[in-house]
Amino acid sequence: MTHAPAAHRAPARRPATTTPSRRTRETPPGRPRRLGPLLFCAPFVVLFVAMYIAPILYAAYNSLFTIRRSGLGLTAPTEVFAPLDNYARALHDGSFTASLGRVALFGVVQVPLMLGLALALALLIDSKSARGKGFFRLTSFVPYAIPGVSAALVWSFMYSSTSSPLNRLLEPLAVTVPFFDEDVVLWSVANIVTWSWAGYNMIIIYAALQSIPAEVLEAARMDGASALRIAWSIKIPAVRGALVLTTVFSIIGSAQLYNEPAVLQPVSGGSISSAFTPLMSAQSAVAAGNYPYAAAQSVLLAVAVGMVSLIFFKLTRRGDHA
Amino acid sequence: MKRSFIRFVGIGGALTLALAATGCTGSSSGSDSAPDQKASITFWGWAPGYEDAVKAFNASHPGIEVTYQTVQPGAKGGYQKMLNAVKAGNAPCLAQVGYETMPSFAAQGALQDVAEHAAPAKSEYQSAAWNSVTLSNAVYGAPVDTGPMALFYNKKLFDSLGLKPPTTWAEYRAAGEKIHASDPKRFISSPYQDYDYAGLAWQAGADWFGVEKDAWKVSMASAENKKVADYWQGLVDKDLISSAPMYDQAWYTGLGNGTIATVVGAVWQAGVIKGGAKEGAGQWAVAPMPQWEKGDKKVGNAGGSATAVLNGCKNTAAAWEFAHWLGTDKDAFGKLIEKASLYPAASDLLYLPQLKADPYFGGQQIYEVFAAATPDVDPEWTWGPLMTSTVTDLNDGLGKAWTGKGTIAQALSHAQDSTVAEMRKQGLAVAP
Repeated sequence: MTHAPAAHRAPARRPATTTPSRRTRETPPGRPRRLGPLLFCAPFVVLFVAMYIAPILYAAYNSLFTIRRSGLGLTAPTEVFAPLDNYARALHDGSFTASLGRVALFGVVQVPLMLGLALALALLIDSKSARGKGFFRLTSFVPYAIPGVSAALVWSFMYSSTSSPLNRLLEPLAVTVPFFDEDVVLWSVANIVTWSWAGYNMIIIYAALQSIPAEVLEAARMDGASALRIAWSIKIPAVRGALVLTTVFSIIGSAQLYNEPAVLQPVSGGSISSAFTPLMSAQSAVAAGNYPYAAAQSVLLAVAVGMVSLIFFKLTRRGDHA
Repeated sequence: MKRSFIRFVGIGGALTLALAATGCTGSSSGSDSAPDQKASITFWGWAPGYEDAVKAFNASHPGIEVTYQTVQPGAKGGYQKMLNAVKAGNAPCLAQVGYETMPSFAAQGALQDVAEHAAPAKSEYQSAAWNSVTLSNAVYGAPVDTGPMALFYNKKLFDSLGLKPPTTWAEYRAAGEKIHASDPKRFISSPYQDYDYAGLAWQAGADWFGVEKDAWKVSMASAENKKVADYWQGLVDKDLISSAPMYDQAWYTGLGNGTIATVVGAVWQAGVIKGGAKEGAGQWAVAPMPQWEKGDKKVGNAGGSATAVLNGCKNTAAAWEFAHWLGTDKDAFGKLIEKASLYPAASDLLYLPQLKADPYFGGQQIYEVFAAATPDVDPEWTWGPLMTSTVTDLNDGLGKAWTGKGTIAQALSHAQDSTVAEMRKQGLAVAP
């Protein structure tokens, strides 16, 4: 994006040097030459700053205030600068901290399961003896193409205690799955998320598998390595980068869990509360008109996600050097 | 799920931007116009039929030009948009606001007192509706519709079991037991949440909020509320309440196939039941709300909305003229009944020809039941200043209670505690 890398690259590309040199003759050196690339970046930079950086800064700034009213509160509330109030409140808010714990548990269990499934699917489709690769690739990817809210609605029907076709199928066995039990409901949500996202992650891993040089695989085969051995010793290490990437995406996704539990909430019989996940908790604060508190919760969540992702990157990178 | 975070963090900024964009489209609040100039008023709402009503008003009132803009229904984002616009100083003069949200708006300084224009019209409205748009001595808008309650019941099912529509809550429980005994898949009713539940408390005079001197009083955990809560808890404990949440597909199915026998609900439930449970056509009927004491005539209310005057409105006279017209003009309201099934808050409109018998309800003149119930709606009910968070907390508890985890009384006292805590935290005066 900036000037420097292009300058480094320039000597390597001999044939191209003619054009820039002619241009330098036509326009005076210095300023305009630097402005050019900046101008090309401008649309991106402006949008990036206005739509991405500014709102984040605004939310962080907003979180430093608390809402104050008096009496019956019939005049507009004032916002008082109290930088730590909202943060202290969030950390003492049992339902918010519980929601953080909930998504952490969700991430620890669901992410490895989903990525394990995605990896297994990718390896199966990639294996030499696989038939109908196109078909399986497409069908496992289709859930991702369905909007999250629609998927959650369909699943809410599958889970509903009055209409669940799953439980109706199990009826002859005298078994019912209590999808909305307090202890089960998180895993009912995890099931929807896995269903929606396993295929997406599978495609990323599968794409990485395609980049393994055929000679390497052939050499391994000639040396008598079994398909399992090739998968374990060559393919999985080769897609390590893709696995790290999908893991970080999934960690972030878990922290931001919202659509699925929010859709299931009205039919959950109270087992999904209004603060089931951190984002739902912040959303409740927004609905109640308390923007600063919602902003503080969001900032805390963002910091937590940032830290977890960073630690994860550090851990995996250390492995690289060893 | 994945992409929503950035959007969320940015919600403040993004909304501000969005509003800055919409602000340009001329939602300026009226103008101090010269006499020969038209007064222009902007009105935000979502009820179907409002747009046509505005057209009719403009045609018949050459001095005022009302611009109607459709917004998301209140709880789905409309209220937030209005509050943001007030904060940004570019709010419309008028907005559709539910009665339950009026005090929350007032407590955010989002409403404007128009008592000087409005006071003479007081007698034209039912007293419960009028009370809903006033707080202390201020009048914040004009009532449009109300939601007096009654008992919707599956007459075919009741007849087949030799049951009469219950007149007391004791009879209602007995009917529930008989219905459940006839088939364990049949239930007398289904779980009531937030404002539907509030209507049950309203009937019993079990106030949730009040204003005492200059402080708010919160009484969701009062003895009267406990009485109502314990009654419904008793029905839950005897397994007489279906698990199908209201407005869920399972609920409509139950209403249609006779496994959910009654709905204690507001007048607009007629449209909800008719629209969602087509198979129930001809089976349903309406009776007055069961009473706590035999012979009493007490009625609750659920829902209803006003045309509120938002803070910053400059031409309050013109704003009031339209708001008053919308809720009281016979022709306009007749169309609103047809289009949006609104039920009038103005006493003169209770017998409009558009409120007619319906074959879905076996040809019964159901609106006569509601018209008779309307004067008996307790006018003393007051909503609180933080209704959104109050009902969010309440629903968390009620959801569990209706499925047998925890009790309704606990849900109410939890909502009471967290509401009071939040009010104190924001600095509102709370009476002990």
